[in-house]
Amino acid sequence: MRLLNILVLGALILAASFVYKIKFDSTLQAERVAKLRGELRRERDAIAILRAEWARLDTPGRVQRLADRHLALQKIKSTQFDKLDQLPERPPAIRPTPGNDPVGALLSPVPDTTGSALSAARR
Amino acid sequence: MTTMRGPSKQSENGWQRALRSLLYGHNVDRNVKAQARLWLAILVFTGIFFVIALRLVMFATVSEGHGDRRSITQDAVATARPDIVDRNGEILAIDVKTPSLFAEPRKIIDVDEAIELLTAVLPDLDANEVRERLSSKRGFVWLKREITPSQQLEIHRLGIPGVGFLTENKRVYPNGPVVSHEIGHVNIDNQGIAGIEKWLDGQGLAALHMAGLATDPLQRPVKLAVDLRVQYALRYELINAREKYKAKASAGLITDVNTGEIIAIVSVPDFDPNNPREANDPNHLNRLTTGVYEMGSTFKALTLAMALDSGRVSLSSSFDARLPLRYGKFEIHDFHAQKRVLSVPEIFTYSSNIGTARMALALGVDYHKAFLKKLGQLDRLRTELPESAEPLVPKHWGELNTVTIAFGHGLSVAPLQAVMGISALVNGGTMIPPTFLKRDQAEAEKLAKRVIKPETSEKMRYLMRLNVEKGTATRADVPGYFVGGKTGTSDKVVGGRYSKTKVLTSFTAILPADKPRYLLLIMIDEPQGLPETHGFSTSGWNAVPVGAQVIERVAPLLDMPPRFDLPRADQMLLVSAKDTR
Repeated sequence: MRLLNILVLGALILAASFVYKIKFDSTLQAERVAKLRGELRRERDAIAILRAEWARLDTPGRVQRLADRHLALQKIKSTQFDKLDQLPERPPAIRPTPGNDPVGALLSPVPDTTGSALSAARR
Repeated sequence: MTTMRGPSKQSENGWQRALRSLLYGHNVDRNVKAQARLWLAILVFTGIFFVIALRLVMFATVSEGHGDRRSITQDAVATARPDIVDRNGEILAIDVKTPSLFAEPRKIIDVDEAIELLTAVLPDLDANEVRERLSSKRGFVWLKREITPSQQLEIHRLGIPGVGFLTENKRVYPNGPVVSHEIGHVNIDNQGIAGIEKWLDGQGLAALHMAGLATDPLQRPVKLAVDLRVQYALRYELINAREKYKAKASAGLITDVNTGEIIAIVSVPDFDPNNPREANDPNHLNRLTTGVYEMGSTFKALTLAMALDSGRVSLSSSFDARLPLRYGKFEIHDFHAQKRVLSVPEIFTYSSNIGTARMALALGVDYHKAFLKKLGQLDRLRTELPESAEPLVPKHWGELNTVTIAFGHGLSVAPLQAVMGISALVNGGTMIPPTFLKRDQAEAEKLAKRVIKPETSEKMRYLMRLNVEKGTATRADVPGYFVGGKTGTSDKVVGGRYSKTKVLTSFTAILPADKPRYLLLIMIDEPQGLPETHGFSTSGWNAVPVGAQVIERVAPLLDMPPRFDLPRADQMLLVSAKDTR
């Protein structure tokens, strides 16, 4: 009977300490959640302020004032637009064919095997 | 616990005995009575301990939620509103958190000291008012809303008991007055009191606030149809125009004729929504939605469309404009009098009052009235904006009214309403209610209502283009954009009579005229004649050049490439006829 009592007492203490540990952990977790939530809110508020600031700096009125002060740009006329397909074709890239390169041959009488002349021409 | 449970089970028996002993008193054995009382005490205490234990369990489980609830109340004070963005996502209105200073008068120990310290940090605080508030017996008073973080820090350092801060949402409009009339503004409690802000509250936001649920993460930004860049350009040109022509006011509107979206709406003078006090000035009202005006010759477009749509008048019909039209004691004159018989296109390009009046008379009063009703010119136009104006319709609509209304006098409508009507004339003949919110083509088609035949719409486009090529609006012919348009100059009513000098000029432009996408309205209230306009103050000299400037500036923003392979107005009908075949 006494043994049983001691066992039960031991189990009680164990259970109590276990529950206490869980409770303690959960409190810690809850505190962390609250802290993170607060941080999130602060960050969101900060983002809102930054966005408002950006919108204020980006407002067309301010951009125009700055452009008027610092740039010598003029208003665009409708005649200055053109369509993309109206653009002339890009001129074909000049690529010296190896072997048949008179200028290259003049520059380097010794046959160039490293291809440096080619890359120089491309550049 | 175990020791308690044993006796409580026996108390089934003992309880009755105890009852008896308590009831019967004196003649019961003393020992039995004492035992019964003991059992009763044990029972009561067991109950009390049980309740305490239960409460403890409740505290343990609920305490975590307790902190959350506090933060929710804090958010509820700071009533959040959704962001408002333009059609490209540019921010028009946004909430920013700011601290506000409050006090709990009952907790303040020394009122005088508190006031002295607070006014040192906040010099604009009214000491007498604060004293009055702090001396009251209320639990909570605001001292100053929206203070800066540095002020908050200073006050915090003062360490006055009974003074605290709450974080509140402050509405910020980064673009200032640019989109003022459309967005409206909010009061200090962040409740919308005008424009889209008020509309938002009507959409259930107010109810959310009441429930304390309007927190930031719940709210999606509201996307409007307005294009900030276009709006800015239009406003800039209108402010310049108002200064140049020394006008009382100027207003402008750009709408997408195929969806009814309002891309830009400006009425100058306007106000800065960050400073709502300016909004109360009646001179700052939005003339396009809350004002009603006699639109003048702009209305002739409606009359001509009616005549052409009836089938009884064709483009080759002609009307006698040799003599002024006499009606009773009234005489209708032409401003650009030709004194000959005019064809329908000529009536439009010379803006002949006599011609349009005869046209409307030929169709009759009832037909005229029904047509204007169909185009929504006789009823109040409701949009998202809470502000709207009822058109001034004559009570007894006789032939004389039809004569004058045919050329835009005697019926006052909100300019936005006229824009809706004219959009319907050029977009292929369907009327689409205007909106300030973003809307796509499919949605617009669901709302669209056919009002005139597509062929009539083609003819109207032709007439509008012709008017720019060789009519009253030649100054609007921006190369490459194929502008069409109609001018309007109406005499203003001053003291019940039409003034000879005070006019309201307007210009309605469509672009491109062969297949309109946008409609632009420019309105100038009481422009003055200038030396470079040869002293004229009619629409062609002020509203039209302003319109041309706006078009040149805005068309690239609206994704409209200039074209230089365009037909002349005369060829438009042929081309479109071929297309339809």
